[in-house]
Amino acid sequence: MKKFSILSLALLMVFSLFSVTVMAQDEVNLTLWDIRTASDQVTPALQDAIERFEADNPNVNIEHVPTQNDNYKTKLRTAMSADNAPDLFMTWGSASLERYVDADKVYSLESHMTEDWESNFMPAAMDLGRVNGELYGVPVTNVSPALVWYRTDLFEEYGLEVPETYEELKNVVKTFKENGITPFALANKNKWTGSMYFMYLVDRIGGPEALQQAISRKGAFNDKPFIEAGRRIQELVEMGAFPDGVNGLDEDAGQSRTLLYTDRAAMYLMGSWAYSSFKNEAPDMLDQFSFFNFPAVESGKGDPSNLVGTPGDNYYSVSTKAANKEAAVEFLKYLTDSKMGEELINIGNIPPFTGVAEKIDDPIMKKIYNSSQEANHIQLWYDQTLPLELAQVHLNTTQALFGMEITPEEAANQMEEAAQEYYGE
Amino acid sequence: MNKKELMNNKYFIAALFLLPAVIFSLVYLIIPIPLSTYYSFFKWDGIGAMEFLGLDNWSKLLSDPIFWSSMANNFKLVLISLVVQIPIALFLAVLLTRKIKGASFFKTIFFVPMLLSSIAVAFLWRYMYDPTFGLINSFLNLVGLEQLTRSWLGNSDIAFYSASAPIQWRFIPLYMIIFMAAISNIPKQLYEAAEIDGANNWQSFFYVTLPMLRSTVVNASVLIIVGSLKYFAMIFALTGGGPNHASELMATYLYTKSFTEMNMGYGSTISVALFLVALIVSVVFLNFSKKDVRN
Repeated sequence: MKKFSILSLALLMVFSLFSVTVMAQDEVNLTLWDIRTASDQVTPALQDAIERFEADNPNVNIEHVPTQNDNYKTKLRTAMSADNAPDLFMTWGSASLERYVDADKVYSLESHMTEDWESNFMPAAMDLGRVNGELYGVPVTNVSPALVWYRTDLFEEYGLEVPETYEELKNVVKTFKENGITPFALANKNKWTGSMYFMYLVDRIGGPEALQQAISRKGAFNDKPFIEAGRRIQELVEMGAFPDGVNGLDEDAGQSRTLLYTDRAAMYLMGSWAYSSFKNEAPDMLDQFSFFNFPAVESGKGDPSNLVGTPGDNYYSVSTKAANKEAAVEFLKYLTDSKMGEELINIGNIPPFTGVAEKIDDPIMKKIYNSSQEANHIQLWYDQTLPLELAQVHLNTTQALFGMEITPEEAANQMEEAAQEYYGE
Repeated sequence: MNKKELMNNKYFIAALFLLPAVIFSLVYLIIPIPLSTYYSFFKWDGIGAMEFLGLDNWSKLLSDPIFWSSMANNFKLVLISLVVQIPIALFLAVLLTRKIKGASFFKTIFFVPMLLSSIAVAFLWRYMYDPTFGLINSFLNLVGLEQLTRSWLGNSDIAFYSASAPIQWRFIPLYMIIFMAAISNIPKQLYEAAEIDGANNWQSFFYVTLPMLRSTVVNASVLIIVGSLKYFAMIFALTGGGPNHASELMATYLYTKSFTEMNMGYGSTISVALFLVALIVSVVFLNFSKKDVRN
């Protein structure tokens, strides 16, 4: 038995030696690094894309090397600084991609961007793959904007319409409050939950430019939109729009959604993943939930179609070191084609691709998809857009606003001070 | 010295057996202290290049109001824990060492909080504190004390005290067991002698039990002081140091700085400061209590 296994092992080694030499002659090897480990929901879709690509391009072989999320970031950073980059790799777009573009590690996809391929993506998602106006990464997964979820039956019961302006929203808040229902379910121990109100108000008041200018330092974090957003949050707090002790409730423990399920709260500003929470936690109430876009603010600059959230996740890029860039780009097209889109939809992940709407059966998912499509601009979460230091100040001051422990001016000034320190002004 | 002699040398054998423990405490307990001190002079995100700052982190620490308020919270926690845990633990210990019915049953019941993990206890209390559905507010409503209902963890004025309560609840049993062990070591003759002299229960407690427990109480106090100064788990799980740093402790603040904001340099500065504070306080306390014993 032992002899046999040694023999077979030796044979195997000889064969593998052959296969390597054969490959070296006319085959292309591409290494792909990402976070699609076995436990990742998206992995089967990715593997299918690899198989389809390899079937159509028999001379190309893709070696997929997945690494668990947090380790991946370190691994990629180390490999990049050691000039050991894989041919294809994944980032989260924006700042995470920019770092490598600035170091000349990423191949520009601009010359390969045919009109056909470009029209395949939602414009808002593409923005995060661009650095200095050039495209370096294509988004593959997960459009998840923050939306105002609401209990349709409660709205009907009190004869309320979906509010389209901030004034109408205040009326809705007032009606619910008078009837002993907390208008918004919110658990703000986690801080990023309350941040959503702030981000939307800034957008509706000052438009997406407000944040962009503050970051590029043409504007400031204590400009009017930021102060005004803080003021309106406190106005809502004073009206009793949020649960008592909102800063002590824990989103991870579901202390916000419990209020929704027990008819004690009517609205819930949360990422589109809230829908899967409803599905899991209150499947028999699913038809009582729907959502609307955050209302417009009168005389504000922001378009009410604008969304805050994740416009697209997991940007795939080709490195400048890739031996065969043509083949690598070709693979990206398989990774972003309609078959891939279909498979992502099947697992409940909305891909940032156009024209997959008809493949979505679930009406709520279809509605999420459509609002993302119609969005003029999707603002990435502040705590991901801003550098870490500033993100923390933003989260802390916003929580303090909800607790009425700080004035809107103080919050904005603290943020601006931190920004000046960070940008070395 | 040949091999056989070496194996017969009891000091060598002792050193051999001590080696693993020494290596462990060096690597995980001793070396990190100077290492953290070294990091505290740098701006460092934990992965990238380190930028030398000199004493900048330290001067920033001294003028950081959040650090000072978190240190104040630590001392409040020390005080609360000393005042609450020692008397209650002592009371329970005395009660359970008497020959009362069901003592072993109560012993088990009282010891349960100690067996639960901190995070599980924190979640238990989180649900009890829930302003709408929680046990505490529901009970207050039930007995007609609506005016006492609070948002226990969301109100900055009381969040720290609310978050301190489960810490007391969880650690009382530990000291209860320590005191029970000490009480059972007190010679019976002392109580008999006191009885003959006509001492009642209170007198035999104050003049026999308490003096005999002196060193145990001192040791328990040191454990409580050091434990409260570096406390982390349940505060982190209940409030995360919030709202707006109201329940921040030095350890939760250092965690946020190091691992949320990835500012390892400043985080190390806080951790070294925490170490110094705990060291000074416990050395001072031990010295005072030692002097007292000698007198």
